[in-house]
Amino acid sequence: MTELVRCTRCVLPQTHETITFDENGVCNICRQQEKKEEIKWDGKKKELGELIESYRGKYQYDCLVPFSGGKDSTWTLYYLMKEYGLKPLVVRFDHGFLRPVLQENAQKTFRHLGVDVHQFTPNWKIVRKLMLQSFLEKGDFCWHCHTGIFSYPMWVALRYNVPLIFWGEPSSEYTAYYSYDQPEEVDEKRFNRYINLGISAQDMRIRLGGDVDERDLMCFSYPPLKELRRINYRSVCLGSYIPWDVKKQTAIIQEELGWEGDQVEGVPPGYEYEKIECYMQGVRDYIKYIKRGYTRPSHLASLDIRNDRLQREEAMRMIKEHEGKRPPSLDLFLEFIGLTEKEFLEVAMSHVVSPHQFDPAKVADGVKLHDFTKWSRDGAMPREEAIVQLQRWGGRGETNR
Amino acid sequence: MIGVVDYGMGNLLSVCNALEMIGAQVTIITRPEDLQDVERIVLPGVGAFHDCMRNLEDKGFREALDEAVLREEKPILGICLGMQVMARKGYEGHESEGLGWFDAEVVSLRSLDSSIRIPQVGWNDVSLKEGSPLFQGLPRSPDLYFVHSYFMKCTSEDDVLGTCNYGGLVTAVVGRKNIFGMQFHPEKSQEYGLKLLQNFIDWKS
Amino acid sequence: MRLARIGASEQMVLVNTSQFNPCVDIGDPVSQAKIYEAQAADELIFLDIDASLNNRKTTTSVVRKAAEEIFMPFTVGGGVRSIDDFRELLSNGADKVSINTAAIESPELISKAAEMFGSQCVVLSIDYKNDANGQPRVWIRGGKTRTDWHPLDWAIEGQRLGCGEILLTSIDRDGTCAGLDLQMIRRIADAVTVPVIASGGCGKASHFVDGFLEGKADAVAAGTYFSSKDQNPMQARAHINTAGVPIRLHT
Repeated sequence: MTELVRCTRCVLPQTHETITFDENGVCNICRQQEKKEEIKWDGKKKELGELIESYRGKYQYDCLVPFSGGKDSTWTLYYLMKEYGLKPLVVRFDHGFLRPVLQENAQKTFRHLGVDVHQFTPNWKIVRKLMLQSFLEKGDFCWHCHTGIFSYPMWVALRYNVPLIFWGEPSSEYTAYYSYDQPEEVDEKRFNRYINLGISAQDMRIRLGGDVDERDLMCFSYPPLKELRRINYRSVCLGSYIPWDVKKQTAIIQEELGWEGDQVEGVPPGYEYEKIECYMQGVRDYIKYIKRGYTRPSHLASLDIRNDRLQREEAMRMIKEHEGKRPPSLDLFLEFIGLTEKEFLEVAMSHVVSPHQFDPAKVADGVKLHDFTKWSRDGAMPREEAIVQLQRWGGRGETNR
Repeated sequence: MIGVVDYGMGNLLSVCNALEMIGAQVTIITRPEDLQDVERIVLPGVGAFHDCMRNLEDKGFREALDEAVLREEKPILGICLGMQVMARKGYEGHESEGLGWFDAEVVSLRSLDSSIRIPQVGWNDVSLKEGSPLFQGLPRSPDLYFVHSYFMKCTSEDDVLGTCNYGGLVTAVVGRKNIFGMQFHPEKSQEYGLKLLQNFIDWKS
Repeated sequence: MRLARIGASEQMVLVNTSQFNPCVDIGDPVSQAKIYEAQAADELIFLDIDASLNNRKTTTSVVRKAAEEIFMPFTVGGGVRSIDDFRELLSNGADKVSINTAAIESPELISKAAEMFGSQCVVLSIDYKNDANGQPRVWIRGGKTRTDWHPLDWAIEGQRLGCGEILLTSIDRDGTCAGLDLQMIRRIADAVTVPVIASGGCGKASHFVDGFLEGKADAVAAGTYFSSKDQNPMQARAHINTAGVPIRLHT
């Protein structure tokens, strides 16, 4: 296996999306953080106050907060209500894999804070088709979740006429699709830039050979700009206005709301606040490891290094110990999309990002989580259905390596 | 209301689409007298300097533009050739007179470097002068899309708000009071181009 | 792109080809164009590969719609045969028009179009592959008919006739992800002064880098690479920049 070139400061490797290295080998994401320090946060907070006041009290709800129950959306909701006394509409998109602790966290949060909640669960049969198709096309099965989470709340905003929408952390914490000094509006451009994997709902329907009803894809499609403009919408990241500090924020919601972290497959102890929302997270991270040779621990370590909470050598040790194990949730995933493990590996490996190379023989088994038996196994994809999609895809992802 | 001048030369469709995309109310101006009904003006242009000036004059736009821009001080943005004709003179083909709003001459890019490939077609980064409200929310050197063989050489550096490098220093943005010009095509420059158009729409004296 | 039946209706769809053969439907052309714009692609090229007279109206309406929603340079080609075709596409929002078969059959079209609309609007599209004797030749009609032209000679002639850019596509490598034909690209880039866009074969980010550094191409075009992999122009750009090629980075 080729050893990947990593940032000399954090540990993100050359296969990370949008990464570049400067003459000192420091990556652009680290450099972006320097810009974060330059931002005049007082001025930003003032802007936030002005933005809020321009919408407060004028609509059925002062703002809309898309919510998963993870640390970021919980913090966003808590902060807006505590700091500004807003009346929000909470919108929750159910991707199909919500975990028990997460559900309890959400319940606690809603009851402590007192909010209206609008929750939506898309058609599972459509979801599993979409999971398989996006896995085949892009080596990423989460298309329905990425798109649903970002477009569904916009439809709700239209329906209830709630034009101010607050999201959580800005993407510049993770990637260079936007930098800190660029205003990150959470709009269709951003949706197209990196949320929808380069596939709109319209495109997905074509890729599925017209096999789905257009109406079934509506919750995954971004509403027309004209409609959003009509209600004078603003869709922004709270993290563009206040500095994002994950550890501090998590401590507050634990204290104030009884929010609890959870174990996640492949994540070292000490990081129980991260990515606890989805029981397919382990598979998602594993696929990333297959494609790009790094996964969740590298991300977590890099964030900690940048915030002076971890030394690089410790980080490298942590990565070696925890990354790249086969998650037990893979068994469920294979049933949901109707593939064998061999087929799964073939598809995932067809999306490998060079110069990384993956050797399936070198993978150890990961540990089952405490709620593993509580995860639903209902709704397996019939094999014939999976084959139709597999054949249509026809191995066009094959490359010369 | 923004008026986009149609004098028979120019990529009206793209410019109008871009202005509509950013939410402006746009009308196409085919008669000089219609300039009365708009608050802001955009002068697009693709083609040759002397053809442009002749068309403007023949259609009676010359006096109407002087009135609207110099006397009524309506904000105006010239794009590509539309910016170039704001100069005193142009030397494309033969010498011809421009609108004279900028003390400048329009000369060939080859005058900077005779071996340079013309026209300049493609993206180039533009260094923006600090402090202009026209550049609010933009990075220091955004990439913008150019298609041109001639450029505006200004006598006064104060008029130059942005430059790019193509064989030498090339004027990319000019501005003086209510009059602005962009050599590149903001309507073809994706996000930053649209932001520049937005800033022009929002500009107040 | 080509006309296809999706569900109950016919529409123009974007497709991936492999050596110019059976296509895979990828998406809606305008939707994909918006996505590529958001991902900061430098330019877009829409090619109507059916190139039939039937498609003309549909293609024009795709161009119109694209011009309303995307704000970046784009080229349209496929079945362009006359000055009128040029005029129609340009007036509906295209920035450049590419000609292929018609240029071989009526080379004066290149000069006429360059004169009328400016050479920067005229893209000469050259598709080539090896013939039965292993010799590279220009093929027309969507790669179905062999001509006697060597791509190098035709490129030089095309420039002489007044085209503003050359889009060079290797039919053999199209959709294979096996890498660009660097030798041919280099020969042509060295022989002409107009920009050369290299196309056909990108399968890894490093292929783009090779196209610039070894092939000396002014631009590298890809379709399959972006639509069927976990890749996008912004990612590719970051990789290309790191490799030392001066390419714009959006952030």
